[in-house]
Amino acid sequence: MSDEPEDLEVAALQRQLDDAFETTRPRAGFEDELWTRMQAQRPAGSRLRDAWVGLVQSIREAPTVPMAAVAAVLVVVLGASALVYSGLGRGGAGSTATNGAAAPAFGSEPLALSSPGAFGKLPAPVLAGRNSDQPTTGAPQSATSPGAAYSGPVAVKWTGKLALTINTAPVFRYHEPSTNTADQFATSLGAVLVSRPAGFLGSYQTTDFSVRVRGTIQSPPREPTYIVLPIAQSFINGAGAPMDLALVFLGEHSLAPTWQYASDTVISGDVARVTLSRQFGVSGYGYAYLVDGNGDRYGAEVDLQGNRPISATGPIPLSLESAPYSIISSDQAVQSVLASSPVAASGVPTATLNSVELVYSLVAAGDHSFYEPSFLFSGTFTANGTTYVKRVLVPAVDPSQRSS
Amino acid sequence: MVADRPPFEDLYRAYLGRIYAYVRAQVGTSADAEDITAQVFMNAYQAYARFEARNTTPAAWLFRIARNATLDHFRSHGRRERLRRTIEHEPVAEEDPSGVAEERIQYRALLVRVAQLPERQRDAISLRHSGLSFEEVGTLLKCSEDAAKMLYHRAVKALKEAVEKEAV
Repeated sequence: MSDEPEDLEVAALQRQLDDAFETTRPRAGFEDELWTRMQAQRPAGSRLRDAWVGLVQSIREAPTVPMAAVAAVLVVVLGASALVYSGLGRGGAGSTATNGAAAPAFGSEPLALSSPGAFGKLPAPVLAGRNSDQPTTGAPQSATSPGAAYSGPVAVKWTGKLALTINTAPVFRYHEPSTNTADQFATSLGAVLVSRPAGFLGSYQTTDFSVRVRGTIQSPPREPTYIVLPIAQSFINGAGAPMDLALVFLGEHSLAPTWQYASDTVISGDVARVTLSRQFGVSGYGYAYLVDGNGDRYGAEVDLQGNRPISATGPIPLSLESAPYSIISSDQAVQSVLASSPVAASGVPTATLNSVELVYSLVAAGDHSFYEPSFLFSGTFTANGTTYVKRVLVPAVDPSQRSS
Repeated sequence: MVADRPPFEDLYRAYLGRIYAYVRAQVGTSADAEDITAQVFMNAYQAYARFEARNTTPAAWLFRIARNATLDHFRSHGRRERLRRTIEHEPVAEEDPSGVAEERIQYRALLVRVAQLPERQRDAISLRHSGLSFEEVGTLLKCSEDAAKMLYHRAVKALKEAVEKEAV
């Protein structure tokens, strides 16, 4: 891009300008928001015309479809189009969820869909603090909490019910972000690069907060994350529950999650921690929580002292690819849990597992990392007069599609 | 439908970032830059049916709309307001705990300096570094390709002097 530089300093300045313009980008989510706004402002006739043209083109591309079937499809699609363009059945501004019964549509994340098993054989997710006497390869992983204080063997029995009706679930994958990606993210917040401390992709600053961005942590696995710390004492305008204030804070800083979440607030002294637990949509199942190495749900967190934000952390927005994978059956999952249990013996406590849910956990794998589905079995056991929570994670992806 | 006209969405996805960067280099806040960028693409979307690819490139066409939208913004808000907001949003002095001598170039600070240049110089730099050819820059600024080159080089020189002055 440089043009016959008069001297090296001018050439250097031109390179900086190139970099400055190439790394200045709008905040994450702006592109899709604006496109949606533009689509919404189009005249209904224009949208219907496009839908019609698209339909006709798709029919032309499939000449073997019987004409009767085409007619039937036309009726169904036009009926659906009329509903969509009249506003019925469309979510977004103005629509109201009915007591949470109507789940929001999947696909709020930037997904690129791939064919089944497209990512090849997958490494298996693991829980932290697994018992040392567990088989190591592709086997269920277990953890005790709180504090993973019990490290001895624990037998398990299953008293719950698991009747899963799906036989595939999506696996999500992201590319490891570069410093350039981190810079673009920070730029979208209006922050400028200050330094690149060890272990971080960058440290950035605005007039009122600092933000650090780090890449994937291998163990315990954690996705690329931002950490925002206000520099000066600032207050969130308005009043409300901590959850509302947290969302205002994230929104003001272009950090509002674009993914599905469920919120929770824990108050400790004068500090409220708002957690937005991330969820992944699984067709035929619903939403599955993302869990960490202890089996705890996580996502983004905001700490507040009254209406003063103390810190915020969460995953940086990354494009996810998605590919469906075959998963094991309910029976296989239960058998896997029971097979992992040491034989009940004197002095070995037995945990009663009575609940299970489909969850996602991060598997860090170098250039690419994966969010993979697992079954998280939970229950309790008592040892030495203390009750512990026992969790066992069973990788859901079929063993034939796992590399470990 | 003009045969060599790409779908508008392709144009939108390809140019949104560049148009935003161009606008961001002109105005003081990212909020203003988003508003103007949104206006640019709203206008472009409505006018796309009239776009003639044989007369101009999509890039030059979009940047013309962006330049007009930015000028409209300044007219309605006033240059004084623009300067005030630009200065208000200058990054704070870097507090590098390690006191490393070689400070990193702060791109945002550089764009603030660009925003403080005279209008035509600012445009020449912004358009050129947004990927336009000198011919396209000249067309947008209503001057010849050679004049656009000269204007650009003067602008870079002025920017260099401003940066050096700041460093003293």
